[in-house]
Amino acid sequence: MIEVDRLSKRFGPVTAVDGLSFAVRPGHVTGFLGPNGAGKTTTMLIILGLDAPTSGTALVEGRRYQGIIRPLHEVGSLLDANAVHGGRTAWFHLLSVAQSNGIGRRRVTEVLQLTGLDAVADRRAGGFSLGMKQRLGIATALLGDPPVLMFDEPVNGLDTEGIQWIRQLFKSLAAEGRTVFVSSHLMSEMALTADHLIIIGRGRLIADTPTDRFVESSSRRDVLVRSPRAGELAGLLTARGAAVVPEDDGGLAVTGMDASAIGDLAAENGIAVHELVPRHASLEEAYLDITSDSVEYRAGVPTAAEVPASPGKDA
Amino acid sequence: MTALESRPAHTAVPSLAIRASDVLTSEWTKLRSVRSTYWTLLIVGVTPIGISAIVALTLATQPAAGRSQIDPLLPSFIGLEYAVLAIGVLGVLAFSSEHATGMIRTTFAAVPRRRAVLAAKAAVAGTVALIVGELISFASFFLVQAILSGHHRGLSVSHPGVPGAVLAEGILLFVCAMVGVGLGAMIRHAAGAVAALVGLIYLPAILGLLPAPWNDRIGRFTLFYAAQQVVALHPRTDLFSPALSMLVLIAWPAAALLTAAFLITWRDA
Repeated sequence: MIEVDRLSKRFGPVTAVDGLSFAVRPGHVTGFLGPNGAGKTTTMLIILGLDAPTSGTALVEGRRYQGIIRPLHEVGSLLDANAVHGGRTAWFHLLSVAQSNGIGRRRVTEVLQLTGLDAVADRRAGGFSLGMKQRLGIATALLGDPPVLMFDEPVNGLDTEGIQWIRQLFKSLAAEGRTVFVSSHLMSEMALTADHLIIIGRGRLIADTPTDRFVESSSRRDVLVRSPRAGELAGLLTARGAAVVPEDDGGLAVTGMDASAIGDLAAENGIAVHELVPRHASLEEAYLDITSDSVEYRAGVPTAAEVPASPGKDA
Repeated sequence: MTALESRPAHTAVPSLAIRASDVLTSEWTKLRSVRSTYWTLLIVGVTPIGISAIVALTLATQPAAGRSQIDPLLPSFIGLEYAVLAIGVLGVLAFSSEHATGMIRTTFAAVPRRRAVLAAKAAVAGTVALIVGELISFASFFLVQAILSGHHRGLSVSHPGVPGAVLAEGILLFVCAMVGVGLGAMIRHAAGAVAALVGLIYLPAILGLLPAPWNDRIGRFTLFYAAQQVVALHPRTDLFSPALSMLVLIAWPAAALLTAAFLITWRDA
């Protein structure tokens, strides 16, 4: 369980985290979503006692992190996979971290096996690919077999196989009753990985909701209809219980009736239909919608390029 | 992976001694698992022996006239001139290498009591520096005296004042390693910390430009002058006494480590 209460962090004139409150519960994978610069990493740094908050509190299992003795038994974290000494082997990296919390060599061997790194344990981490470094970071987080796990952008740089593996790992960790808190700027990834979403923008909470509810509420489904007798058709549609919203360009956005029913209705009444298009707003669009006011750096042209990544590439 | 229910309870708080030994073991593993440690120690070990042998040979072959003023312990001391810098760099790297890679966040997340990390890094680097320092100063002493005694000018290790002076030379490496650890923790960047270290060690060269007696009045507070007083068989009378100079030698690393202890606790990692 992670509890963040009215947390704020200012760096000079910049407010990175602004009165943020949320709780991350055990037994779930909780996604921590937000555009780059939204304050996700800063929030995680504060939870781990690495940065001091300007105000507010962050508690892990009911305690301030700094007060925990041998904290790796309580919280495992991966902030930056590249944050390893390139000249040290995977084995010695893990051993040094393990020893600081009284964790033995057997556990080091176990986490190496668990992350599939046992074959490269004696190789220096500097020669690792980003994917291998991510695994090393996850191995480090698992050393103390902790009930709370926190990962900052863990899928960055992983190949499809690695992403599948990590997704399964998170789910099984949560199924064991652990608190799993994973940040990402990719909605598509979190929709597949997380049961619960905490979405922030410019350091403020935007949404704190189960993933399926977010998907449901934000996936707009309607049918675009164009007709030379739009007004007449709209009347017929509303009479049948559909909701009709006229669009700026003369089209009708119809909900509550599917495309074939609309087409049949128009045909029965001899009304010509020029366009009949079922539309789905993607999760990605919904996410962009709610975070659009809080994107720190925006490209000049807000086009499809602004969508972080296609699901095909990252899912 | 064990299920949560079967996890051993971690409610029993380990004693302070066990926690201290955990952090010490961890820092020792870090030090011995990177190659930079061995390269640095190679420089620390080889340069003083080589330099002091050369200085001793030069002294030994000097014409008899004017020989008597030269302190027979001087060649070993001169030999340490590069070793002190190298061992200081070893100290600097303890923190700067972790800041450069970002590993420091993993370290501080594993041990939130940052002063314990500072203390452990200082203890580990200090112990290595002290052991290596004593080995070198005794090795260099015997080598230098062997060369000098070939010209009937050598000293025995049992000569009054000699054991203390030779031991003090080893301590000098310890002092520089500690100053390095403190500077590395304070400045975080290796380049900046090493620059500061060079400045501190070679400060007397700049102070030497001051008009007398100010050069010595300020100079006696420097590491170099204090070390020279401590290791000399015949200390200069116009500087601090060897005992006071020893205090100066201890004050520098103490100040560096205390400043570091204050800074690392309050700064964001």
